[in-house]
Amino acid sequence: MEVVKACSTFFLYAVTAIFAENAVFGRAMGVSRLVKLVEDSTVDTLTFGGLLCLIQLVAAPLTYWVNLLLTPLSWRNAVRPFLFILCSTVAFFVVLGVLLLVLKEKARPMLAVLPMATFNTAVLGVLLIAATQNFNLLQTMGFALGSGVGYTAAVVVVGEGQRRMRQDMVPGSFKGLPITLIYIGILALAIYGFTGHRISIG
Amino acid sequence: MNSKKAKYLSENMERIARRDRIFLNNPVIMQGMGLAPLVVAATNGMNALMLSVAVLLLLTPTRVVAAMICRTGRGQLRALVYCFTSSILYIGVYFALRAMFDVEILQLGVYLPMLIVEPLIIKRYERPQPERVITALRKGLRTTAGYVLVLLLIGCLRELLASGAVFGVAVPWLKFTLLPMASLPAGGFILLGVVCAVWRGLVRAYKKHVHTEARRGE
Repeated sequence: MEVVKACSTFFLYAVTAIFAENAVFGRAMGVSRLVKLVEDSTVDTLTFGGLLCLIQLVAAPLTYWVNLLLTPLSWRNAVRPFLFILCSTVAFFVVLGVLLLVLKEKARPMLAVLPMATFNTAVLGVLLIAATQNFNLLQTMGFALGSGVGYTAAVVVVGEGQRRMRQDMVPGSFKGLPITLIYIGILALAIYGFTGHRISIG
Repeated sequence: MNSKKAKYLSENMERIARRDRIFLNNPVIMQGMGLAPLVVAATNGMNALMLSVAVLLLLTPTRVVAAMICRTGRGQLRALVYCFTSSILYIGVYFALRAMFDVEILQLGVYLPMLIVEPLIIKRYERPQPERVITALRKGLRTTAGYVLVLLLIGCLRELLASGAVFGVAVPWLKFTLLPMASLPAGGFILLGVVCAVWRGLVRAYKKHVHTEARRGE
């Protein structure tokens, strides 16, 4: 029964992070990287998304434990980002090691993307939210994995939207970044239609 | 604009545009950097001001210190150098902001600490060639100026549209709120998109005007 309850908590937070609390549409996390990704054909979206999820999954428990240690300190808000970057760095080297061990030479193209997938606002923002909203370990991991999947889905949706918009008559000044931002804004509004604009968990 | 100046600007437009981080090549408008704090946290003038001070204290020092460190080593782990530099500097920046704005900084939520991995601050690590310290200083200050300009513009505009005030002071001739949605992230995306389009239109018109004036002077 305990296992079922734990699994349901994990999936509830993961699904919430994918749809209702999407990192891009709900909180604009990693949106600067997203607008670059949809224009950059050299970086594979799914590779980037997969690496982001791996980093999130490895870093989430580390930041959870670090945050527990920080809780009694009054100056925790000042040092938390530094310690979370330290956790992300550990996750970076763990994922790097796993990729080199498992994929060997095939891992080379992924290594160029790995720093971008590790040090961005989508990763740090999600870890900070989990810490400030006092999620437990399962909730933190579910939320982190769901945010990674949600971010990847957002990149795919925005990329596809931009591809279709190019075929239409978009005014010159709106082409590129402006129309992408307006498109994300409209998608965010659609999500508000389901969830309201307030944070619904935590 | 006299023809001599127009000719000079026309001939050197690309070089000038590349160096100008305020109008012609603004980091937000042209490169889409630093969007998360703009869209979510800069909902009013005060928040925009606090973010501006944070960027002012974080961006140029991070770039300069990271440039110094990367020049001494082989620079294969530049991403780590930039992130660790900004996160260590953030400790001082946090206390400085706390002293200046007290608990008001809590309004920024996670968007204040998130600045340490914002592409606006750390994106330079993606380029393999090391940056000269003086170049880092110059570009850091210009980028800061361009970003702060857009932050304050968007922050004040959103506050005006969402609550009919600027820096908390009600605008007397505004009897109703024009666009309450402007304070939400979705409104932030749409408003920023429109501002980007207008700004890019102005840049295009300016370039066209310069080239026309230069041709007329020939």
